[in-house]
Amino acid sequence: MPHGACGPIKRCGTGLSLWAVIAAFIIVPTLHAVTFSADIAPIVYHYCAPCHRPGESGPFSLLTYTDVKKHARQIADVTQRRYMPPWLPDPGPFQDQLRLTDDQIRIFAEWAAAGAPEGDPTETPAPPKFTEGWQLGPPDLILNTDKAFTVPASGPDVYWNFIFSANVAARKWVRAIEIRPGNARVIHHANLYVDYARSARQNGDGFPGMDPVIERSIYEPDDGHFLYWKPGGIPYSEPDGFAWRLDPATDLVLNAHMLPSGKPEQVRPQIGLYFTDHPQTRFPMLIELEHDGALNIPAGDRDFLVSDDFKLPMDVQILAIYPHAHYLGHLLEAYATLPTGERRPLIRIRDWDRNWEAVYRYRDPLFFPKGTVVSMRFHYDNSSANIRNPNNPPKRVHAGNTANDEMGHLWLQVLPDGPRDRRVELEQALLEHWLAKYPHDYAAHLHLGAIHLAKLDPGAAASDLEAAVRAEPLNPEGHNLLGSAFLALGRGPDAILQFREAIKLRPDYQNARYNLARALIKSGQFDEATTLFRQVVAAFPNDAMARNSLGELLFHAGKYQEALEQFNRAIALDSSLEIAKKNREVTLQELHK
Amino acid sequence: MSNLLRTNCAGAAHWISRFTLAKCLGGGSLLDVKFFLVLLAAAMLPAATVDLAGHTRDPFGAPAAARVFIFVRSDCPVTNRYAPELEHLFQEFSARSVEFWLVYPDPSETPATIKKHMLDYGFPGQPLRDPQHDLVKRAHADTAPEAAVFDSKNDLVYHGRIDDLWASPGRARPMPTTHDLEDAIAAVVDGRAPRQAETRAVGCSLADVAPDPGK
Repeated sequence: MPHGACGPIKRCGTGLSLWAVIAAFIIVPTLHAVTFSADIAPIVYHYCAPCHRPGESGPFSLLTYTDVKKHARQIADVTQRRYMPPWLPDPGPFQDQLRLTDDQIRIFAEWAAAGAPEGDPTETPAPPKFTEGWQLGPPDLILNTDKAFTVPASGPDVYWNFIFSANVAARKWVRAIEIRPGNARVIHHANLYVDYARSARQNGDGFPGMDPVIERSIYEPDDGHFLYWKPGGIPYSEPDGFAWRLDPATDLVLNAHMLPSGKPEQVRPQIGLYFTDHPQTRFPMLIELEHDGALNIPAGDRDFLVSDDFKLPMDVQILAIYPHAHYLGHLLEAYATLPTGERRPLIRIRDWDRNWEAVYRYRDPLFFPKGTVVSMRFHYDNSSANIRNPNNPPKRVHAGNTANDEMGHLWLQVLPDGPRDRRVELEQALLEHWLAKYPHDYAAHLHLGAIHLAKLDPGAAASDLEAAVRAEPLNPEGHNLLGSAFLALGRGPDAILQFREAIKLRPDYQNARYNLARALIKSGQFDEATTLFRQVVAAFPNDAMARNSLGELLFHAGKYQEALEQFNRAIALDSSLEIAKKNREVTLQELHK
Repeated sequence: MSNLLRTNCAGAAHWISRFTLAKCLGGGSLLDVKFFLVLLAAAMLPAATVDLAGHTRDPFGAPAAARVFIFVRSDCPVTNRYAPELEHLFQEFSARSVEFWLVYPDPSETPATIKKHMLDYGFPGQPLRDPQHDLVKRAHADTAPEAAVFDSKNDLVYHGRIDDLWASPGRARPMPTTHDLEDAIAAVVDGRAPRQAETRAVGCSLADVAPDPGK
């Protein structure tokens, strides 16, 4: 409307515009009465039906007019509260954002108020077709649980860890997994962890716990993928090059969060694995922001803050984000601050609800340059006003694994820039950050020491490994690695001391024995080394490398016939041991002289 | 307002929805009075609650120290999670001449689905269908699950939640801190009035399964 269209009386112009606006609000909603056929069906099919259909997690179906009419007011209520569809974060650049617009919520309200009219059934769109059974088609390998877990009829949430034996005969590259919960109405959410060391099964073939501890080898920076199940989702297929490694003798641990339904329920999950021939060529990593050590929430505190800030050591793309807390969390947020000072939000959850914990993938990866600081700010309410407080009356809460403790972890799936595998670089930065928070942490010092050793920097390694040994003097691994650092620095006697200590602490520590023999050889103590290796071979007669090492020592002592015997035995045990074959050749030559 | 109307309004308070009562008390025309009288007459007929064999069944027929009605929907997860607690209350009170009734107001629930529902979850009580929502109205219930307790004189003395486990849809406490239904039944059995006559129940809507007005 041009200014002054009504001549000198400007009021005329503004008045007409105002009326247009008012009319739009009044007339538009009532011009067209909301019906199931025209308005409700499309929304329900997209946002509700994936869970609200037979066999899925919704407690009732929402596929037909009859279905939806029976829940019309309920739907109006739960959508207005934004309880349904379940979507915790503020709107953001996420894939599959299950969030209704204000307009869609208004449509549900109008429909219920109007008595839930059907409209013209011939105009109703057909309900969506869903794939029955495995959503991605028949898996290449299906893993089953040996026994079902029974959720009792009543009581609080239940957390159970199912262990699956991933019985592949050779290394496989996994491009997708599908978790079929076995009882989708009872499982709220489940995370899957790859247990390369098979450490979890020490607890039995299943065990309770909200956050299972999976041992990680310091030599394998794997664990770069979020593997999970959440209601209604289509399982995720990794893009080409992002498949993850699955080796023989690996376990998968399914951590399931379940809720009693009013009757005892059997839960028997299955996992479907989908393989690809394309090995992993892109190496994302899961990084964790946390400060559990500072998590110490007094009873009654309504706003306790847990923070962490980590500076990215290289350009990265962030692919996905996973905020994790227990029951006291209320405002959870994360953001990135660029080197320019500009702040970008990563996620913001204003009203945390543990029941709807989820991994959120970004529609497009978020790029951040080196020097960007990623930050977590988790706020906790440990007062009685927080109805979800597991303690009544509230009590002081620390970090821990059970429902009465608390946690605060902000996980990011991060892909370092460039074609190479840069996980070790990123891991090093993370360990240094960890040690800034926890200066006496054994595992971090050990891990950082191992990285320095691998980078051929024994000086730096020794410094970290000495700290590791100080932190846990009874842990043989620290002594063994420290010995290796000393050996590389040419400090023979110090190295020998450390290796002996490692063997004393763990008599079957083969790696420490080899190292000790090497150290003895280097300082000319061949007899002692030979004795040591005779002990090893006696204790482990099928260890090919041990026999090879003994053979080398015997060769050095001029005992060629005995040496040959050992090399032959070594090759018989392991025909791929090239060093033993070479040694045999050289020994045969000596014997023929 | 005429004397007749005043007397009938008092009756309305007992039998008929608050809407009608308000209309009645608002006073007005002869048309209002007729409308009201018709409703009153209808309300004085026995409630059209039906047992699973299809016979009309009046749950207020036999004498009892207290009558507990639980309004349920078999497709309501909030309701189902209460089955163990209801069983517990049944064990606690049924020997003290307290009747338990499980009321299904959804006209589309069949005797077969009801039987299966009760068997699956172990719900206690005598099942009753209430397709016309007569009992729903009498008990001022609007949610599944909602409890209504009547005393030995068939007066409504409590209606509302079973406990405070649910603060609102989707927001549950780890454990309830009140046991409103248990307290109400205990009060009635002891000859006292419950501390609260009504509380807000959280769950699934009964209005969503109300009979069509045309029927």
